[in-house]
Amino acid sequence: MVLELNQLSKSYGRNQALQNLSLAVEAGSVYGLLGPNGSGKTTTLGLALGVLRASGGTVKWFGSEPTAATRRRIGALLETPNFFPYLTARQNLVLTAETKRIGTGSVAAVLDTVGLGTRQHEPIKGFSLGMKQRLAIGAALLGQPEVLVLDEPTNGLDPQGIAEVRDLVQRLAGEGRTIILASHLLDEIEKVCTHVAVLQKGQLRTAGPVNSILNAADRVVVRLAAGVPAAKLQQALSALPAVHDVKPETNGAVSMQLAADFGPADLNRALFDQGLVLASLEVRHRSLEAQFLELTK
Amino acid sequence: MLQLELRKLLPYRTVWVILLLHAALLVLFVSVGGGVVINGQKIGSSLYAFPGLWKNLSYVASYFNLLPGILLIILITDEYQFRTFRQQVINGSSAAELVQGKLLVAVLLSLFAVLAVLATGLFFGLTKAPETAGQATTGLQAVLLYAVQTQGYFALAALLGFLIRKSGPAILVFLLYAWMVEPVLRYPTPDDIDRYFPTKVLSSLTPLPNEEVMATMTGSTGALLPGEAVPFALAYAALFWLLSYLLLRNRDL
Repeated sequence: MVLELNQLSKSYGRNQALQNLSLAVEAGSVYGLLGPNGSGKTTTLGLALGVLRASGGTVKWFGSEPTAATRRRIGALLETPNFFPYLTARQNLVLTAETKRIGTGSVAAVLDTVGLGTRQHEPIKGFSLGMKQRLAIGAALLGQPEVLVLDEPTNGLDPQGIAEVRDLVQRLAGEGRTIILASHLLDEIEKVCTHVAVLQKGQLRTAGPVNSILNAADRVVVRLAAGVPAAKLQQALSALPAVHDVKPETNGAVSMQLAADFGPADLNRALFDQGLVLASLEVRHRSLEAQFLELTK
Repeated sequence: MLQLELRKLLPYRTVWVILLLHAALLVLFVSVGGGVVINGQKIGSSLYAFPGLWKNLSYVASYFNLLPGILLIILITDEYQFRTFRQQVINGSSAAELVQGKLLVAVLLSLFAVLAVLATGLFFGLTKAPETAGQATTGLQAVLLYAVQTQGYFALAALLGFLIRKSGPAILVFLLYAWMVEPVLRYPTPDDIDRYFPTKVLSSLTPLPNEEVMATMTGSTGALLPGEAVPFALAYAALFWLLSYLLLRNRDL
């Protein structure tokens, strides 16, 4: 395990920002932390990265207690890009490299990767938020860390920048790097993550592989050929253990959720075996927002 | 670590402005000081004569310690404001290393202050009282005591920076404490206790020249002798840095 959080809690006075969060991030996964603003994503990462003091619970990196040395194996962008405004982009990255105790040789390459090569000698106080965000991503990449922690990495970026960051995350994941990504954007998590934990009001709602969590909410809508009594369909469906949450829809159609190992084709075959012929079968992807609302209900 | 701190300091214009201001004020004050007339006699030559010069100059310089102290507060509170302490912890620094880095900056500032005193002293001593040049290296322990004093003030400044985290309030508290709070607290406190108060101990390191003479006329000031004050000053400095470390380690960044 790269990261294990056990019963992690954090309170600010009477405000409980995080309650008994436990989760584990496996090596090589792209782990998404999903939740609305104020749900505890940044608090979780701040606790994991040693800048916030937990009210309770433990953090383990690479199976051991976190230390300054374990943090040097991680590249992280937490909440905001944090740099010395009077130093240039290059000077800031050199400082980062020295703090991480790696050579400064990779600074130039990283600046090119994040598209700031031509402006590396400008003080960053003149940079836009998007440019600072790029620089912060570059700082996280320095030294090719085995783990990347990116908190809202597309914040402040234009659409092209957002696409670039997503490509970058996917490329890094392809190289086998472990990535922990916090976002309030569901489609961002869905596009790049292998695993997701959903947080709301400081509590873990659900966690697991992305396709089992985000696709579980897909519904299948079927309509029978004309002349077949609707009751027969209800009866047949209730006999199938993989079908649940059956609801009547308009025009005599019926919608349902299917178990993960039971696809629409399985449903079609099972109904046909009982002599029920479908006029239509439709897999309805629920909107991401609807899924999210469902998860955090 | 030295290299890391220098990379932050050298390109920072504020650092140069305050250090140059500090040196300029010292030089200005010393050059004007020689023109002061007491009892119809210019004190110039007696002020600039070695070896007494070092004592005089250390005493004068002690009034300017607050300026590099303010600079240190700015450098520490900047790191909170820019959230660079936070980022350095994320990048793999420990709280101890961050505090050590600022201690190193405090030592550099002391070094600068001492060099400013030495350079000013040599310049004025050699140009205005060249006949005493043979004794230029005598009495340099006064400058050493001054160096200890700067460490004390800088440790207090650092603690306030780490504690308050905002430059304006921290500087205000620093000045108020040195100029008002402690003097007021000392007022009702018996002399044999208040001489152990932090800034009292520190100011004992660079006594008013000819204080011994004054004491015979006006009674003892109750202050510690410079030599006696050294261990207390160092203990205060160590305590302030330790508290700074504990603050940084135990609070959220």
